Formats: sequence, C-alpha cells, structure tokens
Amino acid sequence: MAPTTTDRKRKAVTRDTPEISDVESDAEFGDGLLEGILSQSEDSDDGSDQDSEEDEDEEDDELGEINALDSDGIPSDGPENEAEETNGGLNKSNGTTANPLRQLASPSTLEDDDKPNYTITTDANGGERYVYEEIDPVYDSDDSDAPATTNTIGNIPLTFYDSYPHIGYDINGKKIMRPAKGEALDALLDSIDVPRGWTGLTDPATGKPLNLSQDELEILRRIQTNELPEEGYDPYPATIEYFTGIEEIMPLSAAPEPKRRFLPSKHEAKRIMKIVRAIREGRILPYKPPQEQEEEEEAIHYDIWQDEQSRPDNIMNIPAPKMAPPGYDLSYNPPPEYLPTKAEKQAWESADPEDREKEYLPTGHDSLRKVPGYEMFIKERFERSLDLYLAPRVRKNRLNIDPASLLPKLPRPEELKPFPTVCSTVFRGHEGRVRSLAIDPLGIWLATGGDDGTVRVWELLTGRQIWSAKIGDDEAVNVVRWRPGKDALILSAAAGEDIYLLVPPVTDPETEVTSRDLLDAGFSYATNATQALTANGARKEPVAKWSRPGSRLEDEGVLIKITVRTTVKVISWHRRGDFFSTVSPTAQKSAVAIHTLSKHLTQIPFRRLPGIPQTVQFHPSRPLFFVATQRTIRSYDLQKQELVKIIQPGARWISSFDIHPGGDNLIVGSYDRRLLWHDLDLSTRPYKTMRFHSKAIRAVKYHKGGFPLFADASDDGSLQIFHGKVVSDMMENATIVPVKVLKGHKVKSALGVMDVDWHPREPWLVSAGADGTCRLWM
Amino acid sequence: MDITMTNDGASSSRQGQVQVHFITNSPDIELPEGKRQLLVPTNVRRYGLSQILNSESMLDTPAPIPFDFLINGTFLRTTLEEYLTANGLSSETTLNLQYVRSLIPPLYEASFEHDDWISCVDILSRSSVAGIWDGSEVVSGQERILSGSYDGLLRVWNKSGQPIATSASSSAGGHTSSIKSARFISPTQIASSGLDRTIRVWKYTEAEDHFSAELKPILELYGHKASIDSIDVHGPSNRILSASADGTIGLWTTLKNSAPTASASLLTSGPSAKRRKITTSTSTPQRGHLSMLSSHTAPVTAAIFNPLDSTVAYSASQDHTVRTFDLTTSSLVDTRTTSHPLLALTALPGISSQLLAAGTSARHITLLDPRTSAQSTQVMTLRGHTNKIVSIAPDPESNYGLVSGSHDGTCRVWDLRSSRHGTKDEGGGLVGEAVYVVERESAKGGKRPVGGEGIKVFGVQWNRDVGIVSGGEDKMVQINRGRGVTRPDKS
Repeated sequence: MAPTTTDRKRKAVTRDTPEISDVESDAEFGDGLLEGILSQSEDSDDGSDQDSEEDEDEEDDELGEINALDSDGIPSDGPENEAEETNGGLNKSNGTTANPLRQLASPSTLEDDDKPNYTITTDANGGERYVYEEIDPVYDSDDSDAPATTNTIGNIPLTFYDSYPHIGYDINGKKIMRPAKGEALDALLDSIDVPRGWTGLTDPATGKPLNLSQDELEILRRIQTNELPEEGYDPYPATIEYFTGIEEIMPLSAAPEPKRRFLPSKHEAKRIMKIVRAIREGRILPYKPPQEQEEEEEAIHYDIWQDEQSRPDNIMNIPAPKMAPPGYDLSYNPPPEYLPTKAEKQAWESADPEDREKEYLPTGHDSLRKVPGYEMFIKERFERSLDLYLAPRVRKNRLNIDPASLLPKLPRPEELKPFPTVCSTVFRGHEGRVRSLAIDPLGIWLATGGDDGTVRVWELLTGRQIWSAKIGDDEAVNVVRWRPGKDALILSAAAGEDIYLLVPPVTDPETEVTSRDLLDAGFSYATNATQALTANGARKEPVAKWSRPGSRLEDEGVLIKITVRTTVKVISWHRRGDFFSTVSPTAQKSAVAIHTLSKHLTQIPFRRLPGIPQTVQFHPSRPLFFVATQRTIRSYDLQKQELVKIIQPGARWISSFDIHPGGDNLIVGSYDRRLLWHDLDLSTRPYKTMRFHSKAIRAVKYHKGGFPLFADASDDGSLQIFHGKVVSDMMENATIVPVKVLKGHKVKSALGVMDVDWHPREPWLVSAGADGTCRLWM
Repeated sequence: MDITMTNDGASSSRQGQVQVHFITNSPDIELPEGKRQLLVPTNVRRYGLSQILNSESMLDTPAPIPFDFLINGTFLRTTLEEYLTANGLSSETTLNLQYVRSLIPPLYEASFEHDDWISCVDILSRSSVAGIWDGSEVVSGQERILSGSYDGLLRVWNKSGQPIATSASSSAGGHTSSIKSARFISPTQIASSGLDRTIRVWKYTEAEDHFSAELKPILELYGHKASIDSIDVHGPSNRILSASADGTIGLWTTLKNSAPTASASLLTSGPSAKRRKITTSTSTPQRGHLSMLSSHTAPVTAAIFNPLDSTVAYSASQDHTVRTFDLTTSSLVDTRTTSHPLLALTALPGISSQLLAAGTSARHITLLDPRTSAQSTQVMTLRGHTNKIVSIAPDPESNYGLVSGSHDGTCRVWDLRSSRHGTKDEGGGLVGEAVYVVERESAKGGKRPVGGEGIKVFGVQWNRDVGIVSGGEDKMVQINRGRGVTRPDKS
C-alpha cells in the first residue's frame, strides 16, 4: 500500500505545488537553507494532503490537465517544471523513503520492542562489542515483478560454469548452486518414476529440469495422433448453401419487365430540369472555371536518370526508358503516305518551332547520296556556343517592344502640308557669299546682301534681279532687312560700320514719295537736336552719325547713311517701323543701339552688358526687347526699363533667335548645332532641344503669316523645316514635328546657308547660301 | 461584225481576236452604223488600229488621219492583248474604242534669240483672236509673233525668225522697265505692260514688203501701283484688262478720247525717275483707268475676259482665289477659293461648259467651273510639272487640250479626256497627266536644272497656224508644232 500512496502523493504534490514552485525554486537556488523548510513544510503538509487526497483526486487530474495546458502554453516552463518535478521527486523520495523505512521499521520495532537487534560480545580487549544483525534490506522497489531468482550471468553459454559448483549469481550476488546431478541423482532417478511431463532437458534459465505441463502434453499427444492440436476445432463444418448450384427451370417471378426499365425516369427528368433551370438562372455555373495555378505550385520533376549508369538487372533498378525506334517517316525515303502534303508542309513551316508536333519534316530522297547535310547544323552549333558562352539557365522574359511604339505619336508630315518642299527659284548674281536676305512685307521682292558689297532686289517668283546698289566699297553687306509696314518700302542694310536706309526704285511714285518722306522727316529734328548737343559743349561725340551717303548712292536710291563705331552685324526692326535696333558685337558698351527713324536718333540702351551681344529682337506685340548674348537671352521691359527675364537655352554660343508671332515662344539657334524651342511662360530652360544638323545653325525664323512653320539654316548646307503648332490653351504644349530637310546649297569654305526668311503670306522660304545663290523653296 | 481584216492574214487568225466597237465624238469621222463592230487581232497597237480605221472598207479617208484610241478614258499605248491582260479582261468582251484625232508630238521648229529673258509671247495669225476680231484676213504666211522681254522691248517676228519691229526704248517712250505681258489687240495695235506699272498701247504698222515695221507708242495708261503682270485685251470693245501685283484689276480702254485722265500722283514718276523723265524726248498721251477692281488681297497674277462674253472677267490671284467680275457694273460676282496661290489663268471651251484652267505655285493646274451654279469648285487637276505654272494657253483645235508653261523649263500638252482618279495623296478627284512634254531646245539633252534655272518658261501661246510658241529665261522664243494635227474639230 505504501508505495502506491507515495506514488499518488508524489503526483499530488507535484501537481499541487506548481504555483509556489517558482518561488520555491528561486529560493531554492538562491539559498540552501530553504531546502530544509521546504521539506519540513512538505512533511507537515503530508498529513493534510493525505486527508484531502481523496477529495482532491479528481480535482488533481483536472489541475494536472490545466497544468499540462499551462505548460503547453508556456513551453519555457517545461524544463523548469521538469527540473522542479525531479527535484520535488527527489525530495519526495527522500521523504517517502524515510517514511516507509519508519513505517516498515515501526511494526518490527513495535513487534520486537524488547528484543534488541544486536548481540553483545567481547572484543579482543575484553570490552563490549555490539554485533548487529545483518539488516535485511527489504527493498520493495518497482522491479518487484522481476523473477525471484534469476541468473544474472547474462547471455553466455552455461558451459562456462561447468567447472564450478555454481551456475551463476542471483540479483543479490549470491551464487546459484548447481542442482544436484550425476551419480548422486542417478540413484534417485532410478528409484523414482519419471514424472509426467519430464523431458530430461534442463531449463537454461533456471538450470532446473524442464517439465511439460498437462496441456502441453495433451497438445503433443494430439499432434502425435494426427489430430488437430486445438480441441473443439471443426475443420469441416457443414456447408451452408447460400447459393445454389441447381438451375431452376422457371424464374422466380414471371412478371413482365417493369416500365421503369425502359422509360426515362420522370423523377430524374425533374431533377435534371431543376439543374437546367438553375444553370439558366445562373444559380449554378455549368462548370467551374479552371483555377489559376500559381507558379509556385508547379510540380518539381526530378530527373532520376540524370546520371544513369548501367547496372546489373535488379528489381530495385528501373532503367531509363528507351528512345522510340525511328519510324518510317524518319527514313530518307519514306513511303509516300508518310510524306507531308503541301498543306501540311505549309502548316509545319508556318508554325512556331515550339508548336510543331514533329521537329522534322519527312522528306523523300531517291537515294541516300542525295540526302543533304543537316541544315540545322550550323544553327545548332551556334546556339550551343551561345549557350555555353552566355549560359542562360533561366528563360528570360524578353520585352517585345515595337520600337515604333516608343516614338512619340507625331502626325505624318503629309498631313501637315503645306510646307516648302522643292527649290523653285534660284537667285544667282552675287559674287561671293550672300550674307543676308529678306522678303518685303508685300511678298513681291526679295532683298539680298552679300560679300560683294551689293544690295540687290529680286523679283521673288521669277528670280529676276531688278535692282542693285553697291553700298559697301570693300566691305560685305552683313544684313539687309525691310522696314515692316506696307505703307512704305524701305530697306535697311548694313555694311561695315555703316547702316544704310534705301528706297529701291521698284515701287510706284506714291509709295516712293512716302518712303522718302519717312526717311527725310528726321533731318529737321536731328539738326535741332545736334545743335542742342553742340551747345552743351561738355557732351561727347554722338554714338552715331546720320547723314546723306552722297549723290552717287542717292541717285541709286540709298538715302541715309548711319555711321556707328563698329561693324554692324544685326538689324532688327520694331513692328511699327519707327525703331530699329542694331548690334555690333565687337563694340564694348555701344554694342546694342536703338535708332529712331523719325528723329534720326541713336541711343545706347545699355551702359553695361553682361556679355557679347549676338542679336536682338523686339517683341511682336508687347514693349519687350530681347537681347541675346552668347549664352543667354535677356528680355527687358522698355516701358519700365527693367530686366524681365533671363532665358537660358543652354547653348554655348547663340547664333540667332526668333520670337513666335504669338509672342510666347522662342526659337534659338546656336553654333553648337542646337535648335531650341522655349516656352516663355513655362520655364527659362528650353522646352525642346533639337540637334539634327551636323554643323552650326546660323539662322532660325518663324513663319509670320499664319502657318505654324519655322525653319533653320545650317552650315551643313541644309535647311530644316519644322511644324511647330502653338495652341492658345495654356495646358497644352506646342507640337513640334520636323517635316522637311531642304538640300541644295553647296558648302563653301565650311559655310552653308547663311540666312533664311519666310514669305509673309505663303509657306515659301528663301535662303541665302555661301555659294553665292539664294533659293526660293515652295 | 463578221468582217475580218484580210490584210492581217492567216497569222493573225492564230492570234487571239477581240471584238471592238468604234465610237467617236466627232461626227465628220463617224463610221456608218454597220461598220462599228469589228473583230480585230489582239496584237495590234494604236498604229494598227489607226490603219484599220483609215482603210477603204472603213472610213475611206483620202489622206490617212492618225487616230488615238481611248479605252475607259485612257489612251491605248500598248497592244490590245496587253491591255486585256493588264485589266484582267477576257478576249470575249467587246471593247469600246473611242477614236480621236491623234495629237502629233509637237516637234521643234525654230528658236528666235533675244537679248534678255522673254516674259511673254503672242501670235497674230488668221486664227488668232486678234486676227478674227479684225475681220481683215491675215494672210497665211504673214503670221506675226510678238515677244515682250525683260529688257523692256517688244519685238515682232515673222515666222522665219526675222525681227520685223522692235519697240522704242524707254527714252523714246517705251517701257522704263521690264515688260511682263504683251498682246495683239488687232493686226495694227499692240498692248503691253510691265514692271513700270504702265500699260502702253502701240501702233504697229508694217511696211509694204512685210519685212520691216514700226512700233509707235500711242497711249500710256497709268493707274496701278505695282508691276502689271498680265493683261488681256478685247479688240471689238477696245478694252484692256490688267492684273497687277498691287492686288487690283484694271479695266482700260485703248481709245485715247474715251479714256479718263490719269491721277497726277502716279504720273510724276517718282523722284528717282526724274532724270529719265527729263530725257524722254517724245511725249505720249497719258491716261487713266476706266475702273479699278480691288477685291483681291494679294497680287493678282492673271485677269482674262470671258471669251464668249467680254463683260465678264475672271481673275486669278496669289490669295488662292479665282474671282468673277461683271465689268459693266465693276462688281465682284463670284469667288472661288482654291488651296494654292494661282499664277496663271486661261479660259477653255471645255467639254460641256466653259472651264477655267489656273496654274498654281504648287506645280499643278486646277480646272474650275466658273459658273456660280456649279457645285464642285475643282473639276480636275493636271499634275506633272515640277515647278510653278505661270502660263496656260488653250488648244486652238480642240476643246479638250491646253498647253502650260512652267518654271521647270517645260511646256506640257494636256488632254482633258485622258484622266484617272487621283490617289489620296493628291487629294482625290480627277487627275490628268501630260500627253506631251515640250522641252526647251536650249537645254535639250541636258538634265533639267534645279528650279528650272536658266530655262524657265514665262509665256506660252498655242496657235493653229504657228503652233506652240513659248518664251522664257533662255532668251529664246521657241516654236513647236505637231504637224498634221491641225484639223478642225467641228463638234
């Protein structure tokens, strides 16, 4: 009883005390003193525990479960608990071992209270000597189910002990004596009957004779008598005739076959109709859409025959399947039925190589020597080489992008007609380069100026030179510009430091008179002004001198000569025709000058310039003035006299620029081959940069007569025409489409086309070339 | 239909034969009803068909007339067989062959050399308008060719290339600048205009031997403010119509007495011309315009009288429009807008109604129906020139022909009967192509220069008696003639 109670107790304790076990264990590990307390308290607890044991038994189980759950929930507690348990177990075992000892000892002590367990003898000195009885360690342990006396020698032959009187040792180390045998026994055996079941064998485990039991003997007897060993087993039970072998002449029922056997079932039809209706109403989907298998779920296939080696035939060895033997269609001369028809052939050829059912096309050859070489040989070798070289082990998803789709969607040039396409007229006559040209505001005359120092006026359509005047004696005419406005016909030209104002005699007397009056009107004003100036003696010499050019030129129509200090390169007229600005890049301060025609007045608007000015433009509608230096274009408000904006095209050296007639856009041409479109509202940086020329761009020009065109002229001898549509909508950007490259001018000493101008109404372009010709393109 | 040509022999019977149906628009060469169907071998070309038609059994013409054959509006230029295969027709079909008098390629005849560019030419002959108006028959062989040149001089030539008369220089009352247009008003009167913004009327008197003549200025007409690029004359009413680059059309009279006086500001020919004015020895009466029509917004390049009604004028301008004016009231009647600047204009008798042919700067000729009732503005487009078309003249013998002179250095002869439908690029519509291209003799054989440089044609005229006369930048008046073509089409 005691062990079971302790067992249960141990359980109870271990399950009862988990709450305090932590504290205990902590205290335990921290201080050895507490150990005693714990054991004492446990001991004192014992009684109460045992008392309440029965009541709490069920509770204990539940708690245990909860604990188990707890411990499951907190796995980190597991080992601790275990340790605790073992600790507790040990403690308990200490306690319990002490207890049963006492308990066990107590009855004996109670029984033999008066009888001491020692004998008193005298020792060698004559003193008392207590000789204690050998303690019988009644060790009532768990292995109580072990056989009482067993040989502990292990699994060794018994013959090893033949020379000994014992045959081994029992669990307590005592010798197990060999049972008597031999002569001593023989006599005995002779005297007594052989008992039933005697076999004459020795049980190796015990060394005792091995006897058979009564049952075993019975089984042996049955076997010997050829009976079934088991009693009561009937190997031949009576046959129960579940199925009869007798065929009956008449079936059991003679009833005719029921209708349901051959009539369609109404019930089924009803059910089917139900389903059909459900399908129709969409309650049932006729089929489940195939679920998209995710690529991760793809089955992994292993090539088990990857490193196939020939092995002897074995049931565990599955050899790799063999290639199918070649068929008839692989023959060099297959039977005609294997040869593909024309349609099949075409289908095979048109199919993608991956989609083809067969990799080859059966082909018939009359004889083997007519079989050609393997046509894929080179290709396959090449691909193999590529494979080795690039070693792509992953199929790359190459982006199949049509390069055309990447291009911006631009309208076709044909849809943007009209624009100049062919050279219509060649104006030949200048010796040396033609430096500048301009079409008059009415679109009838073309004025040109060139290296030969002449200004010429041509009939635009026919190319006939109508008038010519030599204004630069040995200096080239750098620029010719018509005065805007249709009321008068005044041409301005610059050769060297002189600016000339001309009235070519190609117009009617009325206009000519008006023009002359316009030019001469300033003389009276100028004389007054100069008088005032001279009176003010401290004033320095005027920046420009307005004068008559002399009778020879006056007869030719050259009416006014304005002399400034340095070579004039650019003339730009204000739209009203009273002001024009000139640029002499080499001048320091007076590089940009604004001339007033009606007052014969020249003013220098800038005291100091941020760079070398290249060209200037008046804004087409607002009082703005644009000055281009080598890198930037500055716009100034003429009324407020302040800097409005600095435009930075990013070009290294601006050659020319032009302002869109709408006034919000700007094109800039540069010597570093760039053509830049600026949206003045958008940014100071270019909206679009075009770099299509191989040489410097010399001139750019917008069409001012309503066509959304602009052109540039380059030193590579070509002109490019662009369609540049500016929409009034602020949100929309200008569409710029290059529409035409006009070639024809010859490049002479690295100079191609020097200047361009548009016809005021039509999409006609004129260009001045370094080859001495001008061309009209339409 | 059972007539098989015997002269083709057995060989042709082995060849395929095709049934043709001959039709024509000209009643004088119409076949009798029974002979129109014919079985012809398929290997014949135009020449063979022409021979068949001229043979005794068919038309039985005294002298063979060369014919051209139109199938479905295109000229037959291959054998019938090739035509059939090209169009996917079987030889069982009946072909409708319209036969027309063939245009003989205009052959080069002569060139008259000038000192300067020739801006315009005109012809005086029995059949020219000036000759018809006059009534007094111009003697055959006494045809005169008038040329106006950029040197400001008018020249009159006979057919053999001898200059009969040259106008006076600017100092003697001639043009002070280039002549842009010149016309015979009558065998004795010439009108010319030019860059000096004047129209001058000249009296032309020939000597008895017809080898010398005198050109005397009788009238100077002032009124335009820019170069007068084109004039047209109407002899019976003594009217001149002028088109100027200042955007106006002037109507003038050649009669000194009925002409109004000119505006004084235009007469004083400017400060720069003062010098020249002083040196002018002769004084010519100066007159003004009858009326000035200023509705165009760009230079007017051509103004013509309606050949059937001299009170109606048509004008073409660089502002893309052709305008119709009623001259009696000086009012604008109609405006037809095209898509390109127009540089030349002429009136054609047309197929059913009168047509205007306008040459554009976009290298084609636009045919317009000037009637206000007409729905479509453009009837047909003639394409082929490679430069601006600046001069157009109608075919004197046909209602369907015209010749055009262009800055590309060619004159092209067009037949309106031959047409096709234009591609989308050409803007659709009916498109005609040139039948013959007349090259400049001065540039013969060479490649055509860019922009027609040096060989531009500025003026062209087509006369029944003289042929195609053209002048241009090569300083030559060139005469081309298709001999044998000249037979009146009486339809």
